[in-house]
Amino acid sequence: MAADLSSTANSILFDRSARTVWRIGFDRWIGRLLPLLFLVAIFPILSLVYYISEKAVPTLTWNVITSTSPYGDHLGVAIVGTFELYLFATSLAVLFGLFGGVAVAEFLPESAANWVRTSANLLVGTPSVILGYMGYITFCLYFGWGLTFEAGAVTMAFFMTPYIFRTADLAFTSVPAPIREAALGSGARPSQYILKVGAPIAFPQILTGIFLALAIGVGETAPIVLTTTASVLVPQNLHSPVTVLTALIWENYAQAPSTGLQTIAFQAAFLILVIVLVLNVVVRVISTIYRKRLEGLYQ
Amino acid sequence: MSGTGLDMGPVLSVRGVSVRARKVERPLLDQISIDFAPRSLTALVGPSGCGKSTFVRTLNRMVELTPGLRVGGQVLYLGQDIYARNVNPVLVRRRIGMVFQRPTVFPISIFENAAFGLRLVHESNEEIDRAVAQALQRSGLWEEVKDRLDEPALSLSGGQQQRLCIARALAVRPKVILLDEPTSALDPAATQRVESTMETLKEDFVLILVTHNVGQAARVADRVAFLHSGRLIEVGPTADILERPKEALTEQFITGRFT
Ligand SMILES: Nc1ncnc2c1ncn2[C@@H]1O[C@H](COP(=O)(O)OP(=O)(O)OP(=O)(O)O)[C@@H](O)[C@H]1O
Ligand SMILES: [Mg+2]
Repeated sequence: MAADLSSTANSILFDRSARTVWRIGFDRWIGRLLPLLFLVAIFPILSLVYYISEKAVPTLTWNVITSTSPYGDHLGVAIVGTFELYLFATSLAVLFGLFGGVAVAEFLPESAANWVRTSANLLVGTPSVILGYMGYITFCLYFGWGLTFEAGAVTMAFFMTPYIFRTADLAFTSVPAPIREAALGSGARPSQYILKVGAPIAFPQILTGIFLALAIGVGETAPIVLTTTASVLVPQNLHSPVTVLTALIWENYAQAPSTGLQTIAFQAAFLILVIVLVLNVVVRVISTIYRKRLEGLYQ
Repeated sequence: MSGTGLDMGPVLSVRGVSVRARKVERPLLDQISIDFAPRSLTALVGPSGCGKSTFVRTLNRMVELTPGLRVGGQVLYLGQDIYARNVNPVLVRRRIGMVFQRPTVFPISIFENAAFGLRLVHESNEEIDRAVAQALQRSGLWEEVKDRLDEPALSLSGGQQQRLCIARALAVRPKVILLDEPTSALDPAATQRVESTMETLKEDFVLILVTHNVGQAARVADRVAFLHSGRLIEVGPTADILERPKEALTEQFITGRFT
């Protein structure tokens, strides 16, 4: 009897069946493989950064970046154009995305909300060149705006909106239900709940969403080059042509390949890389700060 | 309020209230009728899932925040049906406040949490300062927080947070406060403080306390109501229900034969 018991205990504690041995071995190998997979992922990124930097940095002086002269390399012109166009586009996208997200999370009945969510997901999945073409047909042709700053900015706003919409929706729907009920149970109207309780809780997530949308948008070429035309001048007004950094790559590298122009394209690419990197760091910092502040919220 | 005659009658009068969920045969609450007199603390006890939370949520129309539930019957607040067509649920909830199972402080300062309901109705700043101090005193939190009102409420302990939630409910001077298992997430010491807070509050408010804990009902309640499967089995003075229950189901519950 005692022998029986100890052998049962043995079989529980020291399982040496073929399957278990195989599993343990598999586990160990996966563990070794993971760092390798990490290298596979990081290598193309690093080599890309290296390749671009190598071509861009040696000739990239402060003067080149800041000069907005129509007779220069136009990098400064493109930086100003990028800044202004994306400021405009982001403001619009934040407006649409926030209102849409709040409406879907708080006001629309579930079935209608899900339709909107599905549409937003489809929009995110739409190739940007199609979106750009839609923008061209709608704004440049149908509205008769031509290839202008306004057409590019509004098209870019439509490109960015679903990203912001999705994070706003998610941020508001993930406010803990008891917190929401407590606010409404204290006699808050829905709008008061949204402004006073929902918004502070959702804010860090939404801000992250805005910056990510911006980071994705800044790197998109098609919606802009299809709806604007490049210029050697910084934008004068909404109806001006405008040059953005991605357009600079498109025009100089893909359209007119000569070594000098290619260098400008690489410099534009390098600046985009820097912008996207900075945006990502900003996102990280903001979300860390705010996560700390919300720590302990109805866990 | 005195001299209106309403002081004498019940503050809340529940008349044949039923709650049904879509596609569920059995009602969650079945023809419940009960009155709540001024200055009383009624404990609602009953096994898990019997409908206690659903019941208190019908008393200030919180139940309407759950899609798919239908309420029938009447809930009279000072004689007026809160489910009548022209009644605004937001105003109902300002008169009939609620405290939840777990502390639900907002990620703003201690002061702003307590002032939350007052800000909604745009009280003057002096009035808010006064009402907040008073509410914090009544909830027994004042001494602990008076020097740190501007700190984030999330920095308080769980028990303090729960008393802050009670203060938030008190600050708007409701007549009725619903407490849905307010101590079930607290340790014994914090529970004891919340219980003594409730005992002082019942001098001025109608308190309706949902509790799992028969001992808690015995300690603080004037009256105990026993709910089972969505039906109100019996209600009476605490001692009667806990010591001499009339119904077999109640006795089984009290003696701990099911929970
Ligand atoms: N939205 C809903 N749809 C269908 N059934 C529901 C819904 N909400 C609650 N119920 C059911 O109603 C019953 C009562 O729920 P309720 O939360 O009121 O019980 P309770 O007495 O508060 O339980 P506990 O002691 O566990 O908190 C439960 O059986 C629950 O499953
Ligand atoms: Mg409950």
